Parts: sequence; C-alpha cells; structure tokens
Amino acid sequence: MDTEFMMFIKQFKKNRLAVLAFFVALALVFIALLGSRLTAFDPLSTNLDARLLPGFWADNYENMLGTDGLGRDLLARLLYGAKISLKVGYTVIIITAFVGIILGIISGYYGGILDMLIMRVVDIVLAFPPLLLALVIVAALGTGIEKAMLAIAIVYIPGLARIVRGSVLTVKELPYIEATLAMGGGHFWIMLRHVLPNIITPTVVYLTLLLGDAILYTAALGFLGVGIDPSIPEWGAMLSGGKDYLLLGKWWVTVFPGIMIFLAVLSFNLLGDGLREAMDAKLRV
Amino acid sequence: MAFYRYIIKRLLIVIPTLIGASIVVFLLIHIIPGDPVTVMLGERATEAARLALIEKMGLDQPMHIQFINWFTAAMKGDFGTSIRTNTAVLDEILTRLAATMELAIGSVFIAASAGILIGVTAARYRNTIIDQMAIGFSLLGVSIPIFWLGMMMIFLFAVVLGWLPVSGRLSLGLSVNEVTGLYLIDAILTRNLKFFIDALRHLAMPVLALATVYLALFVRVTRSSMLEVLGEDYVRTARAKGLKMNIVVFKHALKNALIPVVTVIGLSVAQLLGGAVLTETVFSWPGIGRLLITSIGFRDYPMIQGIVLFVVLVFIVINLVVDLIYAYLDPRIRY
Repeated sequence: MDTEFMMFIKQFKKNRLAVLAFFVALALVFIALLGSRLTAFDPLSTNLDARLLPGFWADNYENMLGTDGLGRDLLARLLYGAKISLKVGYTVIIITAFVGIILGIISGYYGGILDMLIMRVVDIVLAFPPLLLALVIVAALGTGIEKAMLAIAIVYIPGLARIVRGSVLTVKELPYIEATLAMGGGHFWIMLRHVLPNIITPTVVYLTLLLGDAILYTAALGFLGVGIDPSIPEWGAMLSGGKDYLLLGKWWVTVFPGIMIFLAVLSFNLLGDGLREAMDAKLRV
Repeated sequence: MAFYRYIIKRLLIVIPTLIGASIVVFLLIHIIPGDPVTVMLGERATEAARLALIEKMGLDQPMHIQFINWFTAAMKGDFGTSIRTNTAVLDEILTRLAATMELAIGSVFIAASAGILIGVTAARYRNTIIDQMAIGFSLLGVSIPIFWLGMMMIFLFAVVLGWLPVSGRLSLGLSVNEVTGLYLIDAILTRNLKFFIDALRHLAMPVLALATVYLALFVRVTRSSMLEVLGEDYVRTARAKGLKMNIVVFKHALKNALIPVVTVIGLSVAQLLGGAVLTETVFSWPGIGRLLITSIGFRDYPMIQGIVLFVVLVFIVINLVVDLIYAYLDPRIRY
C-alpha cells in the first residue's frame, strides 16, 4: 500500500503545474482558516462615507483593494469569502460522496430491482441541465447557503452514483469476493471491507474535479442572487451588482472577486487533472 | 433492422424519464416550505384572490389528480398561466426562444468550428508547444466564471473602448419586421443593413463569451478523441504504407474522431437552448434564462415550472436525437 502510494506521489510530482496548483489550493485553505485575522476590517460593517474608494493604485494603503458600494473593505470580504467558498466546496463534496457512494454500491452490488430503481432516478435527475436544476431547487427551498449546498450536491450525486456503480460491477466479479462469500462473509462486510477500498481511488479523483466545479456553481448562484444572501461576502454574490459599478468605471469591485473565483477553480481543476493523470499512470504500470 | 430495434428501445427509455422528470417539476411547487399560495401571492393577498388561485391551479385536489391534470394539459401545450404577467406560460417562453436560439447557434457554431480545428491540430502535434498552448487555453476556459468573463468584456469593449453596446438585442428606437425572430436572419431577409449591423454589435459579446467556454470544452474532447484514434492499428497501417501524416489525420482519423465530438456539441446545444442563464443575465439578453431568473425573483411558480418542463423536454429530445445519430455513425453501439 505504501509503495503504491509513493508511486502515486512520484507520478504526481512529475506534473509541475499540478504541484503548483496544490500549493495555491493549500494557500487558499490557509486564507480560509486565518482569513479574519489577516485584516483589521470587518467584512460586514458598512461605511457610507467610504464608498467605492480605490485601493493601493490610488495610494490608498488602508483599504489595499479598495471598498465596495457600501464602503466595505474589499480585501476583508475577499479573505472572508475564501472561507465560504471552501466550506461550500467541501460540504458539497462530502454530501455527494456519502450519498453517491452508498447509492452506487447498493445499486452495483445488489443489482436487480433496487439497481433498476436507483438508476432510473439517476436518469431522471441527469435529464435536467445541471445549473437549471440547482437553481430551481434553491428557488423552491428558499434562500440560505445550506440550501444552495444541498441543491448543488443533489445535482452531483447521480453522476457519482453511476461511476461508483460501474466500478462496483467490475470489482464484484473478482474471485476474491466469491471466496469471501464462500467463507461466510456477510454482504455488508464485503461491501465495506472489500468493495469500498477498491473503488476509492477513482472516486476521490472524480470528487477533486467536482470541487472546482462546485465552487464555480456556488459563485454562479451567488451572482444570480438566488440562494445566497447578497450581504454575505461570497465571491459570486460580490459580483452580482458589479456591472453597475463597472459602467461607472469602478472596476475593482468586480475584478478582484472574479480573480479569486478563477484562481480557486483553476487550482482545483489542475489538481484534479494531476491526480487523475498520476492515477492513470499508476494503473498502466 | 437492428437500427430500427435500437430506435424503438431508445424511445421506450425516454417515456419513463419524461414522466419522472415531469413529476420532479410538478413536485417543485410542493416542496416550497410553507403555504405555496402565500409564497406566490404574498402575505397581504385577499381571501378571494387566494381562493381564485387555489381554484385555478387545482391546489385543493388530491396530489395525484393535480399531477395528472397538470401533465395532460402540459402535453397538450397548456403550461398554465403566469402569476406575474397573467399570460400563458408557453407563449411567454416561445417569444423568448428566438433570442436564446440566436445565442446558442452563434456560440456553438463559432466554438465548434474553432474547437475542432484547434483540437485536431493539438493532437496532430502532440507534446509540442502548440499542444501545450491548446491544453492551457482549454483549462483556462473551463475554469473561468463566464459571468465574470462577460463583465470583463463589457468593461473592455463597452466602457473603456466604447466599441460595443453594453446590453440588450437592439439599440433603442430601432424596430424590426420580425420574420423568424432571429434578428440577423431577419435583417438579411428584409435587406436592412443598418439593422443587421446593430443586431450584430449587440450579439458579439454574449456570443463570444459563451463561445470561449464551449470552445475550451470542444478542444478538450476533440484532442483526446483524436489522440485515441491516432493510436489505432489502421492509422499505423496507413502511415506504414507511406501516407503523409496530414492525409491520415484528415482522411482516415478525423471522421472517427469526430463521433464523440458530435455528441458533446449536441448536448451543448441542448443545454444552451434552455437558456444561458448566466450570460443572459450579464448582458440583459431577453432569452429564456433571463425569464427564469426574473420568474424566480417574483416567485412565479407556474412560470418556473413551465420553463423547466420546456427545457427538460428539449433536453430529452435532443439527447435522443444525438444518441440516434451516434448509433447511426457507429454501428458498434447498437447492442
């Protein structure tokens, strides 16, 4: 197991861009953890006397990145936003993983009518364009970041369940499963101890790729003003009124949150790609 | 014969999906926390208005009866009435369909033609600087938030340079003789150059923003599909008998490599016909996506249901068509 893991790391390190992405992602995690301590400003407190101030490029070293339309410090909001985006990202992934893996294993392992039922539901959910489905779920459930997370997870679960099911179908036919059954191993034990470890690698890689996507979707919901309260310093929500400020030439209100989303999504996508390549290379050996 | 059997089999799978998706859309109104009538009409609605809405939507009937009534009406083209505008939901959708189609067709056309070209070139010159640039570009394209890209384009081309209009489909004061609803085609049909240029200027930014994102996707798919095909035995045979690489790529490999690309293009069109919600919002484009966001804002649930049902229908039908084309192109998948 150890040597296999080391080989994986070795393969991964060959992709320099992915390693760089790993460190960017790590930096984002640090910002998310420390965010509020890195700035003296409160991301929520408004100051109508300091609206739309430019930042360091206009020699304003107090609000380094300027202030937004309500006089809130942009840097403070961006730092705080890292926490929100990452929290949404990993919560969505955890919900998706938990439900998707269970459904996929049950479907693939037991087969029959249970499999058919689960896969039909999966087909139905996949018949909706993803963003549209997330939007209408949030529209029905009402505003709240938890509801947005749930909506995005619902969009992802079918895809994961299908992938897990596929892997389970291959693993299930392997001789050692039959051997365990013959020795009197229970189904639950087999699923937990023998099937799950064998499908975990492709699942983790898939989930890493979803992480970037989940952050992008959250930002999209925030931008559309659906599901996320606009006062919350979520990166996408910070962009929602941004067009009006652009037309006034106050570009910083829009430019910086966008860069943050872009960086976060890009680094997680690169990371996911790197992991997948490393895994593929390992499989080929 | 096998092909006809496949068509029938594929059609039979569509029916449960369609009914299932309709149930999901129908249930939408019933998972609203609290009383849907209050949510739709607001706290201060009169008792008479409440009763009228309950009567009209049949909310006092058992759930399965409500569903059957709603579903059969929808299949006959009656998607209900909008609470906000009091007009037929389907009419509202259809008046915006042309705007959405214009975006979808324009962006997919640009993205597909450029994407296939770049993807094939990248695969042909694998591991060279061209390939790496194509990969890098497509990675940027799938990671960039399209709404932000749109805003940055507005800032550059409309605010700073002043070349293009900020939003909408036409300048104020210009009117159209609508024939198809697709303004560029209408302009050609009515031979109105001024109108054509104005519509084109408005279309440019939203189409380019959308095309960038889809271009990235198409480059990725084309490249990996082409690489796979180039590894096939028949490609090696063709090369071994002395054919030039370009001939092998364009005459032998391309046709087979394009099969998955066609699928992705088809699905993209399907997705875009449901309204490019984000792009339409950024550019205030009067399409279906914009209508959906407005309706969500007004809690106009019949309209939301109608739009979602319409989009899902389009999505399912296009999926079906793509699958059939796929089966036609590649006989191996008619299992």
